[in-house]
Amino acid sequence: MSAVFENVTCKFCGCLCDDIAVEVEDRRILKAKRACPNGLGMFLNYDPTLQSPLVEGKEVEWDEAVSAAADILSRADSPLIYGLSSTSSEAQRKAVELADRLGAIIDSTSSVCHFPTTLGFQMVGGAACTLGEVKARADLLIFWGCNPMEAHMRHFTRYSANAKGFLTPNGRRDRTVVVVDVRPTKTAKTADRFLQIEPGTDYEVLTSLRALIKGKDINEPVGGLPSEQIKELVQMMKTCRYGVAFFGMGLTMTAGRGYNVAEIFALGAELNQYTRFFAMPMRGHGNVAGADQVITWLSGYPAAVSFARGYPQFGPGEFTSVDVLARRETDAALIIASDPMAHFPRKAAEHLERIPAILMAPVTNCSSQVANVILPTACYGIDAPGTAYRMDNVPIRLRSVMQKVRPTDEEMLMRIMEAVKQ
Amino acid sequence: MTLQNRNGDKEASPITLRLKEPTSIPIEADTVSPDHFIGRSLKDIAALPVYFGRRKRNLGDVFHIEGEESDQVIVEGDLAHVKKIGYGMTRGRIVIRGNVGQHTGACMRGGEIIVEGHVADRAGIHMEGGRLWIKGNAGHLLGAAYPGERRGVNRGVIIVEGNVGSETGAFMRRGLIVVMGDTGEFVGARMIAGSVFVFGHLGKRAGAGMKRGSIVAFGACEPLLPTYRFESVFQPVFIRVFVNRLRQWGLPVNIERTEGLFRRYSGDITALGKGEILIYDSNE
Repeated sequence: MSAVFENVTCKFCGCLCDDIAVEVEDRRILKAKRACPNGLGMFLNYDPTLQSPLVEGKEVEWDEAVSAAADILSRADSPLIYGLSSTSSEAQRKAVELADRLGAIIDSTSSVCHFPTTLGFQMVGGAACTLGEVKARADLLIFWGCNPMEAHMRHFTRYSANAKGFLTPNGRRDRTVVVVDVRPTKTAKTADRFLQIEPGTDYEVLTSLRALIKGKDINEPVGGLPSEQIKELVQMMKTCRYGVAFFGMGLTMTAGRGYNVAEIFALGAELNQYTRFFAMPMRGHGNVAGADQVITWLSGYPAAVSFARGYPQFGPGEFTSVDVLARRETDAALIIASDPMAHFPRKAAEHLERIPAILMAPVTNCSSQVANVILPTACYGIDAPGTAYRMDNVPIRLRSVMQKVRPTDEEMLMRIMEAVKQ
Repeated sequence: MTLQNRNGDKEASPITLRLKEPTSIPIEADTVSPDHFIGRSLKDIAALPVYFGRRKRNLGDVFHIEGEESDQVIVEGDLAHVKKIGYGMTRGRIVIRGNVGQHTGACMRGGEIIVEGHVADRAGIHMEGGRLWIKGNAGHLLGAAYPGERRGVNRGVIIVEGNVGSETGAFMRRGLIVVMGDTGEFVGARMIAGSVFVFGHLGKRAGAGMKRGSIVAFGACEPLLPTYRFESVFQPVFIRVFVNRLRQWGLPVNIERTEGLFRRYSGDITALGKGEILIYDSNE
């Protein structure tokens, strides 16, 4: 007998689509209607059966695995807690508590993704809006250094380019889409205007836009774009009814980083002299925005926080996981719902291989191969309920579509905390 | 080992700290500063707290300490992971023999730090006085500001004989930074006032978002941002004044270059636009 659950939230990416119809039979998901290929893979490939935790490759009881994990963390002089982007905010909260108790360094996957967004935000602040407003009002959409057609597949239909809203009843026909990127992407093909800039010139182009908006003149080509094209874009931005600049890792992980983002946030804020304009990061993992939120409201800083001295210290480049690992400044790692071995630079991954590591994740990944303790936990949004933050920082409920048999990250973290206290 | 005292030829026997065991666990040693050593016996100094990763230890557990009461300090050993040496110091002198970790001389307000090797990121960040002299290279954020802060270095001198990373002198409010080697990107970014002298290669995006202040490039220079405007060619007198002082301090500065003509660019027009970048033009 199969059951269909309507309006289930998919936590794969920062879009957090909450209109998925999931068909479940016999603790197995058969269909996930309306989900994009990325989300579909997450729903269909997850095996919710109970699995034994592993310590040094051997199946053990949960109690033994928890005490092994607590042992690793207690013995370490400088433990690192990393990941958090695909777990629930409830679990993230426990992870911060554990970091506080241990005096550990805590960092989310944000640090290899949109962390410069935070740094830019701290520099200049920013004007923010929600995706609901974008859907209802935006008539100018700028996608800068991001490719939603391949990374956030339903962004266009649910929130931006093609969505039909209150003041945009004709969807795509009521909106102008501009894509700025260093190469033609799938997203660029659908755009009304595509501006291909030279790699590594985002800052120059953004700062020129700001200068033009302030009434200064720029007459030379910038980033390979003739000044007429830049002036035309400025005109579009100043005369639109409601504009939003979405930006991705093309801005945050190329030369300029935080400064690029500071420019785009400042640009958005300054355009409010003429019209309504906002800048929004295209957050990657489902609850990476939640990790920033939770760590911020508990410690005051969004990621790269060290509790080593008993109070939180913020250190971009100092306590960011890649830097901590590459400099060998940690001697144990707790990885929660992420896969650093697959994504980190070699020097950082090599140190992660050397130190004792605990992996807490619903699926097997590259990091499973180096972890000394593996805790196969439930998958939030499938067999456990929880909270996640969408890319516009709106919290969305993750529903469960089946009874869970695995422990959740939150329960596991609480048990580790108890064991550490002893 | 004796060091010359600041006020003349009087010699003081310095306090020497030697790291007991090389480690890659970060050590936060903000107590290693003449301010904490003055008026304390060696035993008391050894009992000062230091953070070895997340463990609170005594300075004496981590360093061998010898010498007599003095505001002259020598630190030796593999210090690449030792952070915050000279944090907030106001007097005396620290000589660091070898490479040293992050935040060296952060928030210092007086006295002098001499690093005989390389320093990691954030050296001299939020400095308010004194002199930080680095014989090797420096990392990123040299003389910059902590994230979220609006003002960085406010008085003081930082001299680097080697190369530096990105964001040197970012958010600087006052003071002088001299780099004999090459720089990374964003030198003097969002600078409010102050001077940065670069004798090597000035990196990209110098003076991004700068309000006031001077960045002087004596060597080669990347193309400036489109938000900078060429103003004039002239011979700035203040450079000679500065350079004379640098030569007095013993820096090997090429006098010919400093007396030449400089092209003046003003910017950043997205900010106040009162900043200047001076680029060496010719000797005529």
